[in-house]
Amino acid sequence: MKGSEALLEALRDRGVEVVFGYPGGAIMPLYDALLGCGIRHVLVRHEQAAAFAADGYARVSGRPGVCIATSGPGATNLVTGIANAFLDSVPMVAITGQVSTPLMGTDAFQEVDIFGITLPIVKHSYVVRHIEELPRIVHEAWDIAASGRPGPVLIDLPKNMAAGEAHGAARVHEPRPPPARAEEALLARAAAMIAAAERPVLYAGGGIGIGRAVQAFRDFVAESGIPVVSTLKGLGSVPTDEALFLGMMGMHGTRAANTAVQSSDLLVVVGARFDDRATGKLDGFAPDARVIHLDIDPAEIGKLRRADLALAGDLSHSLAALAGLAQRPRIAAWRRHCLRLKAEHAFRYDAPGEGVYAPELLRRLSVAADGEATLTCDVGQHQMWVAQHCLIRRPERHLSSGGLGAMGYGLPAAIGAQLADPTRTAIAVSGDGSIMINIQELATLKRYGLPVKVLLIDNQSLGMVRQWQELFFERRFSEVDLSDNPDFAEVARSFGIDALTIDSRGQVDEAVDALLHHQGPLLVHCRIDPAANVWPLVPPGHTNATMLEESLQ
Amino acid sequence: MNRTIEVGLTHAEGAIVRTLGLIERRGFVVNAVETLQDPHGGPLLLRVEVGSRGRPFDVLVRQILRLFDVRHALLVEPQAGQRLVC
Repeated sequence: MKGSEALLEALRDRGVEVVFGYPGGAIMPLYDALLGCGIRHVLVRHEQAAAFAADGYARVSGRPGVCIATSGPGATNLVTGIANAFLDSVPMVAITGQVSTPLMGTDAFQEVDIFGITLPIVKHSYVVRHIEELPRIVHEAWDIAASGRPGPVLIDLPKNMAAGEAHGAARVHEPRPPPARAEEALLARAAAMIAAAERPVLYAGGGIGIGRAVQAFRDFVAESGIPVVSTLKGLGSVPTDEALFLGMMGMHGTRAANTAVQSSDLLVVVGARFDDRATGKLDGFAPDARVIHLDIDPAEIGKLRRADLALAGDLSHSLAALAGLAQRPRIAAWRRHCLRLKAEHAFRYDAPGEGVYAPELLRRLSVAADGEATLTCDVGQHQMWVAQHCLIRRPERHLSSGGLGAMGYGLPAAIGAQLADPTRTAIAVSGDGSIMINIQELATLKRYGLPVKVLLIDNQSLGMVRQWQELFFERRFSEVDLSDNPDFAEVARSFGIDALTIDSRGQVDEAVDALLHHQGPLLVHCRIDPAANVWPLVPPGHTNATMLEESLQ
Repeated sequence: MNRTIEVGLTHAEGAIVRTLGLIERRGFVVNAVETLQDPHGGPLLLRVEVGSRGRPFDVLVRQILRLFDVRHALLVEPQAGQRLVC
């Protein structure tokens, strides 16, 4: 058996059905073995999209996504997608071609040290040096990617390792140990802290979805009655229309969420890492709160905020144990206060004018879908509007590049999401800046007939940068004007994708209906006011108590 | 402030570079490094004198422990006058 066949056999053993990639010289033996091997290969049009699609596939399926590229530029084009998976803890196996081992280190054609380049952004990585080790490496890579705090694993495959014949038995890999569990004594202490709290808040992070701990978290919310806030990636941990959910916290969070956190006396932090976009100025974050920190990753405990009590281990176990141990805290007055904040500072959708108001469009779209569509986002103002205004029922139905903030994520992630769950509509919400980063993937939609929908919110600028230049750089607008954009509907049609353009409020119903019911792929090009900003906003370097509102500008 | 961290590593490609890179990326300074080969085939022993401008060493040790090739990692108790050889 050739090395490439052994690699694919190991992937099949792990149940891999779909991989995303782009062929080239050094990876040709693997592409040769792919023919007829039973694994579906999705040909993207740029390797970055292969990594993002694998990421989207993984987030929806809960299993590692697999992406493949050749050596040199193919491998370096994967880097942004690998970094995205690393920062958002997404399980991924990335396979790169490499020049043959005798040529490695000689600056051969299309040779780069992708192993070295990716060291800081992978959970682990391998250079295959012996063909016989390939099955062990693939199985080990899979387990590493998926276990504990998930992440990307790179396998760099020299051409002669892929093309050569395997001789001798492979070393059997050792399965990863089951996740650790928090100690009973610590759980009991945490339960006591929760029962004694007067102003507790649950701070939900992306680890809840990644750790498949959603039900355990919801049970704990129901049991404890504690108000909930979330990070960007924690959205959907409870449905965003759940009564106790106060909204996203942080830079573009709700006033209710930020105010509740700032005045809390106990934060129960679940699967979150005190990201600066969530906490604002860290030394002024929740100044009176004690912290119980639950995380699968012990290295997150105390990294940025000291935990008064750390529960390192499997989230489902810890939450279930706490739900059984903790007495319901007596916080009726606090809960009423939080809900009053939520009502008083609820978003309004009665913006003046006849133009499309993006927050209202997004809200109506997600409500019309009843939170059942998978929304993927690019990065910028539209990303924050999705987070603020969309009905999100589960974390895996809201895919956003949280840690890396990678423009270009949305469309390829939607491709991965659509393939992971063909029964559910995947809608990529993008901006006119972001869409151009990976617009070539419209060709992938056409090639495979994927019914992905693209909602392109066009403000003819790099809107978030423009907003910051307006607010924090004295309106000195520098290289943000995109008024020379192409006609996006015509671009889509040139790829063979149906498209429509809207620019007035009266067309929103038509657009929502098309996004949810059109057969096959569709791009809806939505022109909005170029001056629209995202509110509220915590200015950089300030605490979350300092929130700018539109009316103050 | 300087502390010494002892790391046990499997003999795997990139294990040392990965560990030292992590230390620097996490905002610490690598002041000195010493490697010791276990004559009995045990893990490669890496001792690193690390400098910090206020970041906690215990968090760094936990970050090192996440690396797949790391068998153990611990802070060595400081002893007066002892320094590693570069």
